[in-house]
Amino acid sequence: MTPLFPRWTNNAYRVALLSLVLVPTALLTVAMVWVRSPFRTGQDQPVVQPVQFDHRHHVTDEGIDCRYCHQTVEKGASAGLPPASLCMNCHAQVWNKSDKLAPIRAAYFNDTPVPWNRVHRLPDFVYFNHSIHLAKGVGCETCHGRIDQMAEVAQAQPLTMQFCIECHRNPEAHLRPKELVTSMTWVAPEDPTLYGAKLAADYHVHTRVSCTTCHR
Amino acid sequence: MPSLKIWGQDAAAAANPADALTLQPSDATAERGWFRSVDEYAGHRGLGAQVQGVTKVTPGEPIPDSLSRRSFLQLLGGGLGVAGLQGCFKPPAGHILPYGKLAANLIPGEPLHYATGVEIDGVVTPLLVTCFDGRPIKVEGNPDHPENLGSTGVFEQALLEQLYDSNRVQAVSERGQVRSDDSLRRGIQEELRKLVATQGEGLRLLVPPTSSPFLHERRARVLEKFPKAKIVEYSALGIEATAGTEAGFGQALLPRYDLTKADTVLSLDSDFLWTQPYGQRLAREFTARRTATAPHLQPGQDTWAQEQQRREYNSVPMNRLYVAEANFSITGMMADHRLRVRSSDVGNLGLAILRAVTVQRPVAGLSVPAVDPGPHANFVQAVAKDLLRSAGRSVVFVGPRQPPEVQALGHLLNLALGNLGQTVSFTQPAARHARIEVGNEGLRQLAADIDQQKVDVLLVTAQNPAFGAPADLDLARRIAAVPFSVYLADYADQTAEKARWVLPAAHPLETWGDAVAADGSHVVLQPLLAPLFDGKSEADLIGLLIAEASAPHELLYSAWHKRVAPGVPLFDDTWAGLLRKGFTIADAQPVTLPVLGNAASDALNKIAQQHATADLELGLYPSYQVHDGRYARTGQLLELPDPVTKLTWTNAALVSPKTADKLGIASNDVVELTLRGRSIQVPTIVLPGHADDTVSVALGFGQVSPLDNERWSSFLAPSAAGPNPEGKLAGANAYALRHSDAPWFTTGLKVQKTGGTRELALSQEHWTMEGRELAIEVPAALVGTTEHLAGEHSTNEPIPSFYDPVKPEGFKWAMAIDLARCTGCSACVMACQTENNIPIVGEEQVKRGREMHWLRLDRYFTGDLDDPGAITQPVACVHCENAPCEYVCPVNATVHSDEGLNEMIYNRCVGTRYCSNNCPYHVRRFNYLNYSYGNKTDVEKMAVNPEVTVRSRGVMEKCTYCVQRIERGRIGARVQGRDLRDGDIKTACQTACPTQAISFGTLSDPNSKVSQQRQDPRSYQLLKEVGTRPRTTHLVRVKNKNPELS
Repeated sequence: MTPLFPRWTNNAYRVALLSLVLVPTALLTVAMVWVRSPFRTGQDQPVVQPVQFDHRHHVTDEGIDCRYCHQTVEKGASAGLPPASLCMNCHAQVWNKSDKLAPIRAAYFNDTPVPWNRVHRLPDFVYFNHSIHLAKGVGCETCHGRIDQMAEVAQAQPLTMQFCIECHRNPEAHLRPKELVTSMTWVAPEDPTLYGAKLAADYHVHTRVSCTTCHR
Repeated sequence: MPSLKIWGQDAAAAANPADALTLQPSDATAERGWFRSVDEYAGHRGLGAQVQGVTKVTPGEPIPDSLSRRSFLQLLGGGLGVAGLQGCFKPPAGHILPYGKLAANLIPGEPLHYATGVEIDGVVTPLLVTCFDGRPIKVEGNPDHPENLGSTGVFEQALLEQLYDSNRVQAVSERGQVRSDDSLRRGIQEELRKLVATQGEGLRLLVPPTSSPFLHERRARVLEKFPKAKIVEYSALGIEATAGTEAGFGQALLPRYDLTKADTVLSLDSDFLWTQPYGQRLAREFTARRTATAPHLQPGQDTWAQEQQRREYNSVPMNRLYVAEANFSITGMMADHRLRVRSSDVGNLGLAILRAVTVQRPVAGLSVPAVDPGPHANFVQAVAKDLLRSAGRSVVFVGPRQPPEVQALGHLLNLALGNLGQTVSFTQPAARHARIEVGNEGLRQLAADIDQQKVDVLLVTAQNPAFGAPADLDLARRIAAVPFSVYLADYADQTAEKARWVLPAAHPLETWGDAVAADGSHVVLQPLLAPLFDGKSEADLIGLLIAEASAPHELLYSAWHKRVAPGVPLFDDTWAGLLRKGFTIADAQPVTLPVLGNAASDALNKIAQQHATADLELGLYPSYQVHDGRYARTGQLLELPDPVTKLTWTNAALVSPKTADKLGIASNDVVELTLRGRSIQVPTIVLPGHADDTVSVALGFGQVSPLDNERWSSFLAPSAAGPNPEGKLAGANAYALRHSDAPWFTTGLKVQKTGGTRELALSQEHWTMEGRELAIEVPAALVGTTEHLAGEHSTNEPIPSFYDPVKPEGFKWAMAIDLARCTGCSACVMACQTENNIPIVGEEQVKRGREMHWLRLDRYFTGDLDDPGAITQPVACVHCENAPCEYVCPVNATVHSDEGLNEMIYNRCVGTRYCSNNCPYHVRRFNYLNYSYGNKTDVEKMAVNPEVTVRSRGVMEKCTYCVQRIERGRIGARVQGRDLRDGDIKTACQTACPTQAISFGTLSDPNSKVSQQRQDPRSYQLLKEVGTRPRTTHLVRVKNKNPELS
């Protein structure tokens, strides 16, 4: 008579027991890795825009400063996208018949917005402020990467809470002279941590990690 | 303490009135000497007494949407299964929409502040409104204006909810049918042709009172173009501040009071800390003299050394307030001596005081008839003596509820005391066209004209006259009888029902205008946004009537050009400067009172001839919540607890314990009040301190409740209390008992029990603190005798703790709340609510104790049940250094910041409510249901402050010390490269407070106001014995009793 539980069922039982522990752990691990991965954070995924605006051309070739278009970056929480009227400062003269710029002209003459696609999105309960970061010598490149090399802008950093907190705990390595915040090619003249420590003292950098610093 | 008979305090007693209980003060009440309500007085475990925890949960009560337990668990399991999945997908990116052309000075996402103002019943409050991306989200007072110095009342705070209210009238309609704007314009033009032919005979305008020179000019233009037309100015609660001088001196003048110099203040039925045209300034001036801890110096009362000590402590002597009133008002709560007296006896009382005063200081040409002050002889003598002692440094107020002759008496008292020119002055009122009729006389004439079919066209821009006009005039029926009537309506209210054409009214924040403030400065009222529902203003309507081509804005501009810079060709820059500042410097000149004639003696004789009857009196009062009814659809105000009764969402008949006993009624009993054949049904509240033989009811209630709306049904439980006697209305309409000859009080009231009871949504019995010493009041005689007036509660050495003390570097945020300055007006509660996106929860939820106000105002009665004093105490999260809530949170959702804030992290909160159970102050609020989201319309969502997270169901929340303002202030200062200064950061409650009772700042700066206040001998910590080391400290209130009366 064959036994009700053949010998192999011993192993099956062991595997089942083990997977009772391993499968949830694995699932949890996968989930935790997933939310930090570019699939979830959207890191390094170029976003197609209604107008093919090329930062390589405007930043590198023309040498336009970031703040020419993102005017409010030093004054407010949001860096701001340029109003169509600002594009027209140049493009009323340059490429003023180009089909590619038709949406800009339409926006300017009809006073309607161009629906740019959002690239960097923080959750609603995060209150990030650009102006204070610039005032303390955090460069654009630190969070936004080499914008000057992007044909289509992609999010360069994960922008997870971990990413923010790391810098808030040890800001020194990420500081640069205030007047060079928009530089895309700046490198620290010495050990960035030592150099940054001097800047941190000069600029009265007091990063905080209390929750209400960002969540209100 | 007297005993008290109460029926219907619990279910059993209600079912069988024969089980009436005779209540004695409980041992606890007798011991501690204060109580919050009749229930607590008696230690009665009735309706309210079951609320000992944070919320009232009746066992077995169905959860609101009537889910069965099984389906609830199924949904819970299913919900848990999919809850995590949401995080697996990238959130929708959305668009960024920049402007086509950027406006100057605009930084998207950053707030802009605009100076404007709002006029309510002809009284303007200068405002500063915060706008985010073109939508106003916060109303504050204009900090530069000397009248309010940045403070507001509760009504100004409610403007935003009203502005974004989807229930406002949104379209032109004719007899309920929606029509186009053009059809109304054509209709008016057709009528105009007839009117021009008859010089406007048959044209009537019913307009609100205003101080606006611009509107006065517009109205005058109507009368010029139509010489036979008539304009009637009307408002249900319109305060004719000039009535007193008119009756006593024969000339209409506006009184103006200065309390900075007043040592003794007598209020005869006057709620001057709230309702007078300058309530906010008076409250500020009055309370500024309450923190002066040196009392009234009375020679012979103290030793010289004591007196000297007090003089040194503060050079300004403390003032003393006497109040004689029937209903408990916020002024009554501040009184040092409060006399309970029926409204109809106030005239007599005043006359007795005047007689006693004129015996010492006779007034030429004035004979004061003798009256018998009856049981109040002591009070009269003491008050007269005190007034005489501070002659020239006293003020007598007579409330607008009193008839003109009694108001004249008030001016005569000030005259006799030599206060004129010292603490009281007079100014000319705004020039109104001579042919504009005012008040009830005008209304009566209008009613007669309509009856005689003399009125063809009636334009109504006044606030809901069919509802608020005296019942005997029956304006509702008469408006319906006019062939062509147009009503400029905020809501589909009683007048809109009767008028032929209904036109959406523009909100005050959507219109151009101007106004004259109480100090004589001219205020520009600029709109914050274009009318959301295409509303029109009175100026628009008048423009249509007189066929004016220019828009109101252009007319206003040129009117100001003429007034401010006549003859100067360029006005644009000046105008821009005016708009930025909001007002011009006051140029009103004080005028002297005319010489006394016979009118004064006549007025006094008239008072003397009135003989009070022993009949039951009805007293009508302006509501602290809904004003004349115009805010009766504003949920925030309806849910704001009445400062005295702590009642929300409805009004009630207020009676004294003795009168309740006599009438055989008890709290919650629904009674029928009958006066001259008309009756209303209203629930009862037995209010300690109310005058005997009089019943008080607040006006303005009885409109359709904002809860009568589908979106509320999602979380409103079916009423467990049985059918609501008022149906879908919020409260009962007391205007039904208001007559043109007795607008405020009259005798002859009949009260009858209907047999029904109604559970009232009181916030009073919640958050019981079990008899500990909380709101502390000390007699003035104690001041100067000790370093620590609050004894063991004083802010000095902290209680020892096992835990390491918090040692924050940098800022140490703290708050100080001065009870001596707090009047209980609740402006702070409203300001907190609008700033922090705090939802309202509805009447049913308030009954369960689930109101969400982060800042609450406790009100405690002190002393005798029949004749108690009262003290108010604002309590919000006190930000303990050793916070009990933090130890018990399993998910670290409430933690301490490096600067001493007790932070609440909504995203971590899983809703265990351990924190709230462990909070000794009971200041944490839980979103039991999805109060914030509901099904808000897109327009209603515009009121949300983008700087504060909107909380969803299942999340705990509480006062954050307005952390969004701290961070904004800090970032602003640091971007500019400077340090934060004391006063850079003001919390919402602090800004709104008319009396500056709240100060906020950092303890790291020993010179900051809040540090100074912690050093004050009056400073104490709430529940210090618990060892929580609160960062919010309170300052004890000092009572300046007259030794001759106590």
